[in-house]
Amino acid sequence: MSTGVESWGAEAVSKMDAMYPFVGTEVALTVVSVIVWLVWHVWQIKFENNVYDEQVSQVQGNLPKAVSGE
Amino acid sequence: MGNQLDALVTVFTEFYYWITVPLMFLIHVGFCLYEVSVSRAKNKLHTLMKNAMLIPTVTITFFFFGFWIYFALPQWPFGDIVEGTGALPWDVTMASNFQDHIMGVFWAAFLLFAWTAASIVSGSVIERIRTGAFLILAVLVGSVTWVIDAAWGWSAAGWMVTDLGYHDAYASGVIHGICGGAALGILVHLGPRIGKFAPDGTPRNLNPANPWFAVIGLFVIYTGFWGFYAACNVPILDFTGKGELFTATTIYLTPTTLSTITFNFLLSLAGGLFAGYTMSKGDAYWTFSGGLGGIIAASAGNDLYHPLQAFLIAIVGVVVMYKLHYWVERKFKIDDAVGAVAVHGYAGSFGVIACGFMLWGYPALADGSATINPLGQIIGAIIMFVVLGFIPTYIVAGILKAMGLLRIPREVELAGLDYVEEQGLEAERQEIVNAELVEANR
Repeated sequence: MSTGVESWGAEAVSKMDAMYPFVGTEVALTVVSVIVWLVWHVWQIKFENNVYDEQVSQVQGNLPKAVSGE
Repeated sequence: MGNQLDALVTVFTEFYYWITVPLMFLIHVGFCLYEVSVSRAKNKLHTLMKNAMLIPTVTITFFFFGFWIYFALPQWPFGDIVEGTGALPWDVTMASNFQDHIMGVFWAAFLLFAWTAASIVSGSVIERIRTGAFLILAVLVGSVTWVIDAAWGWSAAGWMVTDLGYHDAYASGVIHGICGGAALGILVHLGPRIGKFAPDGTPRNLNPANPWFAVIGLFVIYTGFWGFYAACNVPILDFTGKGELFTATTIYLTPTTLSTITFNFLLSLAGGLFAGYTMSKGDAYWTFSGGLGGIIAASAGNDLYHPLQAFLIAIVGVVVMYKLHYWVERKFKIDDAVGAVAVHGYAGSFGVIACGFMLWGYPALADGSATINPLGQIIGAIIMFVVLGFIPTYIVAGILKAMGLLRIPREVELAGLDYVEEQGLEAERQEIVNAELVEANR
């Protein structure tokens, strides 16, 4: 069983191209990573909205004190 | 490696670019430091996190498509999109492999330019933009628009170079002009911070919360700028094809020397500091910003200028940027919190145009097939500031505004973006004090 490189011998290295494991999965890795990136943006925006909602509810009716740092 | 000289060239080139990356990292450190220092105490943590999180978002998108754009789009309007370029995220060269030792280092050098691009925009919009909106705009500027302009105008194969004779050796327009325009496009929709303008429209000074650290941040950016200049060069190139090695050529593969750019970097810094100090009557923030603006104003032609030309161009560029900043602020009620539109956008665009007159008739490419000229530079400055800078962010910021995702709620802005965190921290501090009091009273 080997996920990639099987020898660091001089002849093998001189012919070696990719060094990473699971060669051939690059497109799948890209697709998964793009999904992670997009999902993170959606999560971040929802998270930020919730923080602002919480903050607005905390300071409502108390805004002058919050502005003056009391 | 064919012979020992080839091996030496390869090793030196890899190491050269590799060293520029941590040097350019300092630009981002400086941007964070000065952006946080300019923001008021109630917004510091949010300001820091907004800037810091552009690092992962721009990095991953620059891996997905940013670097590919540079290789794919040099020809108008689209180049090798179908044929591919070797910089797609699934290409074997975009990973660890023994047949290509330098792709990742080149990628990182360009990535650090991309961080800088997004970070320039970041400062101008502090204290009222939503982090989520900013990160979308950071991806747009850092991984799309600035790379398109680099493909067009910052490559020996770019159509702006081959067709217009565009010359911008150290990115007056390619980085600074476009980012100033991009910041302005967002600011139009974002609006000023509450309290920035009096009811009669008179601008008020929202002074840096910590001017000392703000200028230290600018000092750190100067330091990182050395790495930026180095990364803009190609080290060791057989310029004539007859074994005549140049130790520094521009990104257009035209010759310069490290001596030239060292002279000119420092003289343009000096000119900018003189002008910034004079215009602002000794204000620390604008004096240091003037130093940066001076370098930016001279950067387009700093591969060839006489040092005193760089010095004088920097002075004029900073006077122009300073005057324009306050004129735009008063006339259009634009609240640019750190002066990024001025320092980067106006000084950079001025630098691109000045270069067209100063280097008129110089070859834009080594084979002499295009020459630098004022018209090409003026068109280039408009493409950078307006077409690729202002318009894309104006459109996207407009969409975000329409969706209610651009600006923070009024209550949050008034109380401060760190209000919730500060309340939480204070509660935890009080809990510890109470526990200590219990211990003390035993």
